[in-house]
Amino acid sequence: MNERNERIHGVACTFRKVSDVFHAAEKVRDAGWKNWDVHTPFPIHGMDQAMGLPRSPVPRLTLLGGLTGFTTGCLLTWYMNSYDYPLIVGGKPYWSVIFPFPVLYECTILFAAFGTFFGQFIFNRLPRHNHPLFDLPNFARVSDDTFMIVLEARDPQFHLDESRNFLQSLGGQEITVIRD
Amino acid sequence: MSSSSPHALTAHWKKFLALGVVALLVVWYFAVVGVQHHENRQALSVLVGSLFWISILIGMLLLTMITRLFDAGWAPIIRRNWELLIIALPVVIAAGIVPLAINPDFRHALWDWTNAEHLLPGGHAVGHDPILQAKSWFLNEKFFLVRIALYVLVFGVLAVLLRRWSFAQDTDRTAGHTHRLHAVSAVGIPLSAVTLTMLAFDCLMALSYHWFSTMYGVWFFALSIRLALAVTVILTYKLSNGGWLDGLLNQAHRHVLGCLMLAFTVFWAYISFSQYFLIYTANIPEETFWYNIREIDAATGLKSEWWGVSMYLIFGFFLLPFLSLLFYRTKIVAGRLLTVAWIIVIGGLVDLWFNALPRQVYDKSTPEGFVVTPFLTPSLFLDLAAIVGFGGIVFAIYLRGAAKHETIPVHDPRILESINYHE
Repeated sequence: MNERNERIHGVACTFRKVSDVFHAAEKVRDAGWKNWDVHTPFPIHGMDQAMGLPRSPVPRLTLLGGLTGFTTGCLLTWYMNSYDYPLIVGGKPYWSVIFPFPVLYECTILFAAFGTFFGQFIFNRLPRHNHPLFDLPNFARVSDDTFMIVLEARDPQFHLDESRNFLQSLGGQEITVIRD
Repeated sequence: MSSSSPHALTAHWKKFLALGVVALLVVWYFAVVGVQHHENRQALSVLVGSLFWISILIGMLLLTMITRLFDAGWAPIIRRNWELLIIALPVVIAAGIVPLAINPDFRHALWDWTNAEHLLPGGHAVGHDPILQAKSWFLNEKFFLVRIALYVLVFGVLAVLLRRWSFAQDTDRTAGHTHRLHAVSAVGIPLSAVTLTMLAFDCLMALSYHWFSTMYGVWFFALSIRLALAVTVILTYKLSNGGWLDGLLNQAHRHVLGCLMLAFTVFWAYISFSQYFLIYTANIPEETFWYNIREIDAATGLKSEWWGVSMYLIFGFFLLPFLSLLFYRTKIVAGRLLTVAWIIVIGGLVDLWFNALPRQVYDKSTPEGFVVTPFLTPSLFLDLAAIVGFGGIVFAIYLRGAAKHETIPVHDPRILESINYHE
């Protein structure tokens, strides 16, 4: 148990003001950090750019889901109306894109929604049951009146003392080492 | 009013006016000569040219009211341009639709149902048509002219009110104007919805009055908003490169316009397809003929050039803008958004052509008793001239307004939010 506690997750640092955490985040980004995060009680506009975050990859899975849905709808209606049980309805062809279009369209929407919903879970690495940050005594305050920057140990730039000093130089208030 | 260089554009209003007047004189000349020779294609140019701008301006009128009602934070700097433009809406209706409706020769040439001697496919006269008699409570000339007058009046009053209090805020800085404009918009949106539906019925659907579609008003609404957004993108692109939005229009404004263009592209496709789908499924001859004459050459039974136009609408007016606008970068990179906007403007014109031009002309030599008017004729250039003509008038009014009033609403309560708008 003790041995496990020696493993370091990262260094956390609290800030009291939006502008402080915003500019600190810009400096962390400019220093080239990859594995780090900012925790705030409310969304801060422009924080994505301040952190240098790329666009979310979720829309790609949405598109993939949509295309899958359209294909599924085509196969479904073709199989049922034209292959398995061909039936003439109103003199229309067994299969065309016109009459089953509501089906194709709804399947596209449904599968695109699946892509978005499950894609969000995949890219957020959810669900997970615990996180080392939850052990931090003052972590609950980042959902109240405190802002926090966490530099993670898995970043190649991480070095316990240097990272701690770096956070200090950013104007951080309380600096804590987080253990796994 | 500012005399700084971004407003140098306003000095061009006389050129636009001159261009518009000259083009309109040419178009009206051909229309008058055409009607004297019992041809209506030239008069259709006036109709298509004016409807193109009417549709854009109705879209802008609605966007003005919708952004007012929802207190859209991004809107004020863009909305001011709509406010400067919408007063051209009653003018275009008055210069295009009103003369066509009032003059009996033009009325009879364009709206078959007003001409009792007009021969329908098969050789029966309109005067003895039981379908027209059943619809005569709506399709009678007196009520028709009253409706046309109402379009000018309703859109005119809404445009005047939406402009007056917005401009008044520039000088007296009163927040109460914003509340007043909320009220105008809340009343104006349903009122415009009814008015634009009737206008679409009268100016387009009634061109072949046997046909009916309850989707038609919604289709016209969707087309109007699409065209209005596309013209807004083109206009704001110009204004942000040396005009009064230079340095004000940012990526987030383009993003929001791009998202709306995507939404209404899908909505237009949804409505247009639904109309087709219901008629296709029900398969009732009173309804299907409208699509048949837009697909099949009645004399040969083969696909006509109107089929090509339909395919263009599916692939060029829906699929191409839809797939392009799905990508985030299309919505934020100014040049790409501009390209999509031009594709939508061209597609919107093709959609108007598709709806306004194909007509059944009585011809007893063919088995069906009629021929369908062709698409590719030199008169398409007259349509373009009409669009240039009405467009010249619209932009003369716009630039004249921009010279007289503030070009951004300097004391709008949300002006800072609008200028600093971000994603």
